[in-house]
Amino acid sequence: MDSENNYWVSLDQWRKDPEFEALVKDEFVSSPFAPDDSESGWARREFLKLMGASLALTSFGCVRRPSEKIVPYVKRPEGFIPGVSNIYASALHQGTEVFGVLVKTREGRPIKVEGNPDYPQNLGAMSARAHASILNLYDPERLTGPKKNLLNEKKSNRDTVSVSWDQLDKEVKKQIAKGSVGVLTSHKASPSTKNLISRFVNTMSAKSYSWSPVNYELEKKANELSFGTNSLPQLKFDKAKYVLSIGCDFLGTYLSPTEFTKAFSKTRSPEGNFGKLVVFEGLMSLTGTNADERYQVRASQFNELVMALVLEVANLKGSAVVTPALKESLKQYKGTAAKLGLNAGELTRIAKELIAHGSQSLVVAGGLSSQTKDAVKVYTAVNLLNSMLGSVGTTVDFSRTYQSATATTSDLVKLKNEINSGAVKTLIIDSVNIAYSAPEMVEVLKKLEMIIYTGDRNDETGRISDVLAAGQHSLESWSDVEGLSGVYSIVQPTIEPLYDTRSFQQSLLAWSDSLKGSAPSAWYEYIKSFWKSNVLTGETFEKEWANALKQGVVIANAPNKASRPILNDAINSLVYKGQHPLPSQFELSLYQKVSMGSGENANNAWLQELPDPVSRICWDNYLTISMKDAEQLKVREGQYVKVKQVSEGAPVEVKVPVHIQPGQIKGVVGLALGYGQKHAGDIAKEVGVSASGFFDGGLASGLKVTIEKTNQIMKLSSPQGHHSMESRQIVVESTLKDFKQDASSGIHKHKIFSLWDTHKYNGHKWGMSVDLSSCTGCAACVIACQSENNVPTVGKKYVDQGRIMHWIRIDRYYVGKPEDPGVVFQPVMCMHCDNAPCETVCPVAATVHGDEGTNDMIYNRCVGTRYCANNCPYKVRRFNWFHYRENIKAPVEMAFNPEVTVRSRGVMEKCSFCVHRIKEKKLEAVREDRKFKATDVQTACQQSCPTNAITFGDMNDETSEVSKAFKNGRTYSLLEELNNQPAVRYKTKIRNTDHLKGAKAHHGGGHGKDHGKKSAHGADDHGQAKGGHGKDSHHGNDHSKDSHSTESHTKGGH
Amino acid sequence: MIKRRPLIWGKKTYKDITDDICELIETAPGPKYYMALLGAKSVFLFYLAVMGTIAYTGMGLMGVNSPVGWGTDIITFVFWIGIGHAGTLISAVLFLFRQKWRTSIARTAEAMTVFAVMTAGIFPLLHTGRPWLAYWLLPYPNQRGPLWVNFRSPLVWDVFAVSTYATVSLVFWYVGLVPDLATVRDRSKGVWRKRIYGALSLGWTGTGRNWNNYEMVYMLLAGLSTPLVLSVHSIVSFDFAVSQLPGWHTTIFPPYFVAGAIFSGFGMVVTLMCLIRALVPKFKHYVTLDHMEVMNKIIMATGMLVGYAYGSEFFIAWYSGAPYEQYAFINRAVGPYAWAYWIMITCNTLIPQIFWWPKARRSIPIMFTVSIFVNIGMWFERYVITVTSLHRDFLPSSWGMFKMTFFDFGVLFGSFGMFFTIFLLYLKGLPAISIAEVKPVLSVGREEGDKIDVHQ
Repeated sequence: MDSENNYWVSLDQWRKDPEFEALVKDEFVSSPFAPDDSESGWARREFLKLMGASLALTSFGCVRRPSEKIVPYVKRPEGFIPGVSNIYASALHQGTEVFGVLVKTREGRPIKVEGNPDYPQNLGAMSARAHASILNLYDPERLTGPKKNLLNEKKSNRDTVSVSWDQLDKEVKKQIAKGSVGVLTSHKASPSTKNLISRFVNTMSAKSYSWSPVNYELEKKANELSFGTNSLPQLKFDKAKYVLSIGCDFLGTYLSPTEFTKAFSKTRSPEGNFGKLVVFEGLMSLTGTNADERYQVRASQFNELVMALVLEVANLKGSAVVTPALKESLKQYKGTAAKLGLNAGELTRIAKELIAHGSQSLVVAGGLSSQTKDAVKVYTAVNLLNSMLGSVGTTVDFSRTYQSATATTSDLVKLKNEINSGAVKTLIIDSVNIAYSAPEMVEVLKKLEMIIYTGDRNDETGRISDVLAAGQHSLESWSDVEGLSGVYSIVQPTIEPLYDTRSFQQSLLAWSDSLKGSAPSAWYEYIKSFWKSNVLTGETFEKEWANALKQGVVIANAPNKASRPILNDAINSLVYKGQHPLPSQFELSLYQKVSMGSGENANNAWLQELPDPVSRICWDNYLTISMKDAEQLKVREGQYVKVKQVSEGAPVEVKVPVHIQPGQIKGVVGLALGYGQKHAGDIAKEVGVSASGFFDGGLASGLKVTIEKTNQIMKLSSPQGHHSMESRQIVVESTLKDFKQDASSGIHKHKIFSLWDTHKYNGHKWGMSVDLSSCTGCAACVIACQSENNVPTVGKKYVDQGRIMHWIRIDRYYVGKPEDPGVVFQPVMCMHCDNAPCETVCPVAATVHGDEGTNDMIYNRCVGTRYCANNCPYKVRRFNWFHYRENIKAPVEMAFNPEVTVRSRGVMEKCSFCVHRIKEKKLEAVREDRKFKATDVQTACQQSCPTNAITFGDMNDETSEVSKAFKNGRTYSLLEELNNQPAVRYKTKIRNTDHLKGAKAHHGGGHGKDHGKKSAHGADDHGQAKGGHGKDSHHGNDHSKDSHSTESHTKGGH
Repeated sequence: MIKRRPLIWGKKTYKDITDDICELIETAPGPKYYMALLGAKSVFLFYLAVMGTIAYTGMGLMGVNSPVGWGTDIITFVFWIGIGHAGTLISAVLFLFRQKWRTSIARTAEAMTVFAVMTAGIFPLLHTGRPWLAYWLLPYPNQRGPLWVNFRSPLVWDVFAVSTYATVSLVFWYVGLVPDLATVRDRSKGVWRKRIYGALSLGWTGTGRNWNNYEMVYMLLAGLSTPLVLSVHSIVSFDFAVSQLPGWHTTIFPPYFVAGAIFSGFGMVVTLMCLIRALVPKFKHYVTLDHMEVMNKIIMATGMLVGYAYGSEFFIAWYSGAPYEQYAFINRAVGPYAWAYWIMITCNTLIPQIFWWPKARRSIPIMFTVSIFVNIGMWFERYVITVTSLHRDFLPSSWGMFKMTFFDFGVLFGSFGMFFTIFLLYLKGLPAISIAEVKPVLSVGREEGDKIDVHQ
């Protein structure tokens, strides 16, 4: 010890006791303080050096795994924080539907597409297909660069070889220089693209065609005839108190269904504004299932039906618009109701109700299932009805019209003629799979010298094309949309193109030398210049452009405010002598499934596995057939039939399994578009059959067919096992009248007591309310959840085995007579019960109760005993039967949400109430140093719901929406009597009708009386009337009888 | 006074007994034995392959799904655990009640218990999604927090119940074996034989002190085992009864399961004894028709107990007024799985009624057939309980069906391979009848033994 030491620890030291000094010296043999360790005063530094080195060595020695670069950014891009998502406003165009969207990106890759609340059409709502578009971006089947197809003499594909863009451009330019060029596009919502095409057409003296199998040419034609404008008016369902649909599936697939659903839902609040929906239709559509009153009429008889309604309205109203000639002609429609099999007086009542609502009523017609050869007449008569009711100008609003529905059937006819005549020798096809959608065109197209395809895959059209100018996904390229006239949005890329691809527009610019000089050669510049001169014409363009990019919407003044009177020509066109005889054969109506549309997204596993809201069948299309016809033909569910078109030419014939659809009218069969694509990719391959051949000159309905049964049977896969509620209180239905008297009408409450204390929630307590009155069953939430939570798909075979993974499902029950059932939907997700039955039985405590009332699943603790799933009365728990992650082909994993664990094999999973979103918002509040607001949190399903049926929030907050909802008289808990105290509660389904189709869904007072007997059994199971319990061989998941006689698709993956 | 019939037939001397029982161990077995072992072993290997494939690929290979989360694995687990019941009942309960007839069959019945529990024990592991983590069900201080098991879960109780039962049965069985192992050791000629049996017999010398300690331990263990006979299957039944599911959530399950277990256990003992009698004709003197008849009576009695439970369930379902409960039971009897239900009823309650006829009770072919039916019926009882309750519960939208796949049949079939492989090795390696216990019940000095014709 240094003698100068002023510090001392003991008196011995102070006294410099030699014994003590010796002791200290020995105690720290290599003490840094020991003078003999080093001559100078460096000992302490030495010590620190050694400590530092050993610390470093120790920590290196403890590295267990090789280090991986988690964040590869050496220089972080500006405005970019790893682990925090960036959101970009953009737009999405699907078919004729336009969505304003917010694209969520993480580390530079888009992971989810959400609705933009500012965009006036979808107002933040999304559809299942719109959500699934993110998966198309990462579709492994996409072309990775420009290709050339080597075709043989028969013009079928021999081989596909890669080329460079330069090579491709050179070849294409050489061909284009020869002239006789055509450009074929699908529906185009982009004003810049329209402008570009028209300039291309003008400068190259080319021709342009716009065609899609699903188009609204006939509707437009009728409007031209009626109002002198070849356009589609905005339908304002939010302003309509009384909606009458003539076979128009406006909630499912017609024109702009998400917008319509959003608007329609504003009239479905029993506490406030509650309208009425009456539907006449032949097939069972999503709109029909949501109707307050639904009547069955064949599409071929819509003309008579509408004319009969015109007659009734004219009689009641003495309307002046009806000309004397028409008045005379209308007389023949007397007694139509009886002919259509409706009760006499029903039409009169409906006419009265329509008149009572006047300009607040809305009659709609249109869409595939009504496109018969009388379609224009039907639509014209509907226009007349709307005029007579005074709703043109209020609910039928021509001030803004749909700019997104450009395709026409006549363009296809024109194209065919012009190829045949040699006027078109080179065709540029932009992402319309014409060889699939119009198979009769294949032979015609083969006459062309060159086909240039800008699609994103080598599909049917790609395979007969000479050049594949690999196109881009809308998340990769610039574009713009104008959904309704004057409502603009910019489509901005949110990721560098994944592959060596080029957008159609950029390709077009590259190929047309003559455009050079007169227009920018970069597509982005082109859009900007277009916007500068057409949309944002103000002084400060750059600022406005930046703002438009940020907001995602630009709304110009409505061009035209005038209400349009119906023209006399239209009225005269309805004068009609003679009647249509009832067709003796079957009539086929083509329709679109909510999940599949016209099939552009067929290679999307999410959509293929999304059960159809009505039939609850996925991974297939099928011939829907009425119960009576099925009985007569003696066909069973899934039995193959041969459908043959009755026509002069080569008759189209397909072999397709039947689905017996309750509520479908006798004599009509339905077949969905979009299936049976052979070359769209691995997912779409061999799924369903193609209905494309049945289009008869563009007509999709009233097609005469014969049906011949075969002995082959296929198991149609459905995640739903049974279709009747068995008189249990599951979905409570009531009429508006009963509701007005008693808000809780229909609900049977149980006396519940418990011996135990309940959980205490001191902070937040999350809860969810689902309003069954506004829910239409559109299934947007299912795909939103799938995208948000990395939910795997399992494939047809495993759906059939009961292995579907959806965290939220939409149960659909039939009530009442199976020939004419009522239909109810119920979204079911984890109920996050206070007394959760799953929590008590898990042996390893892998599912536990969170302190905010959520039922948390701890994946890495789960051993997989599945006891929790057995004990869950709602059966919402999903087990990872295989390692689904392994089936995913690159780059699909890029669509994963990094906030949510990708589950491994052998663990249970289920709805988490989007707990990661709660955490995210909490962290945000901490970062911003403010109090966390429960209202900031939205679950994925809630966010996407077009009807705002889902309310989520803090039950501990008296003022929250969910607390208010829980106090609502309509609110009930599913399986309340089990006293699980679910945090998800439902509001009764209210219908604006005098009598519900089913017996009241309840078991009030009747405990133990009817249960398990034949009560509501008729409506069982795809409508087979035999349905006694012992023999329900047609249950969705029944394996005991129907064998997989055809094949089992084992598509897992995405 | 009515004299009892002798328990051992065929004028046996003490030496005869030792020779008869040890012969199987000391001589090369005949071709019948090898055939049986080859067959069983092949099935066992197949079983290992099937289990390996499932563990490697995932539970998805089996028929389980949503809503039927438990399938063949759990059904067969309960089945084998049930089989295991007869052994302890015979060796412990009947020992305490001084039922001397138990001596001939106790050893093998106990061996059967141990092997059945071994076979059963694999299933809960196999049925989990991540079997390599199944040890998390054991509560032990660990470095994960420590994270403990959820003591509220019946599956945890199950781990305790089954492991305790397995341990106690094994110890009980082994303690009973010690004097006989010493006998085998003393008769051994080879060096290794002597060493192995010597080690196994724990230095038994046959002194009075040895015997005194042995008797005491044996009785204590018998006393310990007796409550286990009731507890194991009660707790296994809690796996079902504690849940909320209609058809599972019933209070009758513990006694009903125990009765069923004894029923199936005795069924299996009869099956095995019939086989042993065929395989080793000399054992017919020890495992006599009298023994078989007693067991058949027990089968009939427990079968009727089980039948009563079946009826009682229906009554309670009706009486409860709970619609889900009522539907669950109606669905059992007339639903898509009615065939399973009626197989269960036929095999478990109707077929054993044939034992009202004394001739049937004493006919080997009849009792063998009936015992097979009892085993089939009891497997189906667990099938009915597990599958038909799960496949249609509260929400009809989630109703589904359960279909066994190749792998389901594979593990069911394969488990018999495992059981019989171990059982056949046991027959060859250990004295299958307790020499030490049989000798005291020999009617030495009594004449009645001579009058019985073995071949009656």
